[in-house]
Amino acid sequence: MEWCEPPIAVLAYMDIANSRWLWLSTLPVVSVVLFQAAIFLRRAWADGKEMGLSDEQLKTGFKTGVISAIGPAVAVLVGMLALIATVGGPVAWMRLTVIGSVAFELPAAELGVSQFGYSLGDGDISETAYATAVWSMTLGGTGWLLVSALGTPHMEKARQKLGNGKEKLIPIISSAAMLGAFAYFLTGEVAAGTPETGSVAVGGLVMLVLLRIADKRDIQWLREWALGTAMIVGLLVGVVLQVTVGSWW
Amino acid sequence: MSESEIDTNVADGSDSSKDVYENDFVPYINKWGRRTNLLAVALSFGPAVALLTVFGILPPTQAVIGAFISVAATYGIFWLVEPLSYYPVLGIPGTYMAFLSGNISNLRLPCAAAAQESADVQTGTPQGSIISTIAIAASIAVNTTLLGVGAFALVSAFQALPALWQNALDSYLVPAVFGAIFAQFGRDYPKVAGVGFTLALAMTTLLELGFLNFLPGYPLYVVIIVSVFGTILIARWMWENGMIHPPDDS
Repeated sequence: MEWCEPPIAVLAYMDIANSRWLWLSTLPVVSVVLFQAAIFLRRAWADGKEMGLSDEQLKTGFKTGVISAIGPAVAVLVGMLALIATVGGPVAWMRLTVIGSVAFELPAAELGVSQFGYSLGDGDISETAYATAVWSMTLGGTGWLLVSALGTPHMEKARQKLGNGKEKLIPIISSAAMLGAFAYFLTGEVAAGTPETGSVAVGGLVMLVLLRIADKRDIQWLREWALGTAMIVGLLVGVVLQVTVGSWW
Repeated sequence: MSESEIDTNVADGSDSSKDVYENDFVPYINKWGRRTNLLAVALSFGPAVALLTVFGILPPTQAVIGAFISVAATYGIFWLVEPLSYYPVLGIPGTYMAFLSGNISNLRLPCAAAAQESADVQTGTPQGSIISTIAIAASIAVNTTLLGVGAFALVSAFQALPALWQNALDSYLVPAVFGAIFAQFGRDYPKVAGVGFTLALAMTTLLELGFLNFLPGYPLYVVIIVSVFGTILIARWMWENGMIHPPDDS
């Protein structure tokens, strides 16, 4: 990311991109996200109680969700700066609250303006090219929404097929899927360089140690803060490595 | 033997709780999940429509189609692969919520996993799904608020941070999260963790060296498919051969 560059010159379309009308236009879809979260939360709480989960467990789940979200949300906020600089505040906010991640939205916006031969960060991007970027991000994001909206009820079949319907296998299958997915994420980070590799390794180690202590002494709050702590320590180690040894690959 | 104990535990609680989950919770979630996600498809066009109606800016159809095709070629495979791959972890409600709210690998999955650990429920069970629903809802409240406030106000504060720290927050928070979650699940299944890591590393290396170039598009999707489903299949094989056991849920 180009943090060291001088502030980007104010682009012609930015008045439009940061206008009140665009802020207003993002509110409906963000409301849907919040509405869904609210009704799912209410229902899960009520049904969870009926299913024998204790108040304690439900509250712990909520609290851990909040605590664990703060760090990554701050990280997303930092990544959002790149989007704010290119597509304006409202669209950046909406795209990162609904569907997207910086890793998708920036390339999608780039593909939009590239239809007119521009590249993001160019000083003279036209209003039309900017609008194309907005369309490109919007249309590109609908794929995930449509698949999740229409496909979710059928995914259980795919999973049962893989698990062969054996009940006791389900936790193993789920953990294996998680391990496979995160192995894929973290090899990407390892390939990125030495500091990233250090962050991965230390984040993992801190988590292991904290969960072990929490289990042995039965300290509940430690479990809630384990991920947050691992994140901060991993972040610090990444910085220290970057400053001292740099990247070997 | 602890395994038979677990059996009866699960059987005791699970008959009625499974009923509630499958006959009450899941139908409700499917009904409202579909409605809200489809509504979001329509409303996500808000800014594009505002540009058209308020400012009269409509890009030429050709440019929109061109942009869409480029995006679909790059990301289209992920529209299918990601929901399928994350579904076993996110569960039914989590899938609707996570794909509506985005930021799945860096935010929703870690939150769901951490909450399941601290509430002491197992991934993939109805109880696990309830807890991950609650945790993801909590994470949505947090990141919508934080990003909203941030987009308005905090932007200048962050720009005042030294470049080193901006870069650090951007680069190193996420890998630390990945390492931590991997370790959390690897604790229960170290052998499966080894298999997953080896598969992902091998596939990433093949990709980097260009051995996957015979596949259409940029074959990153093969890496994720093989990592997730390869690990599932090998874990299943290991379980059938008595090499791994679920952890005691004490």
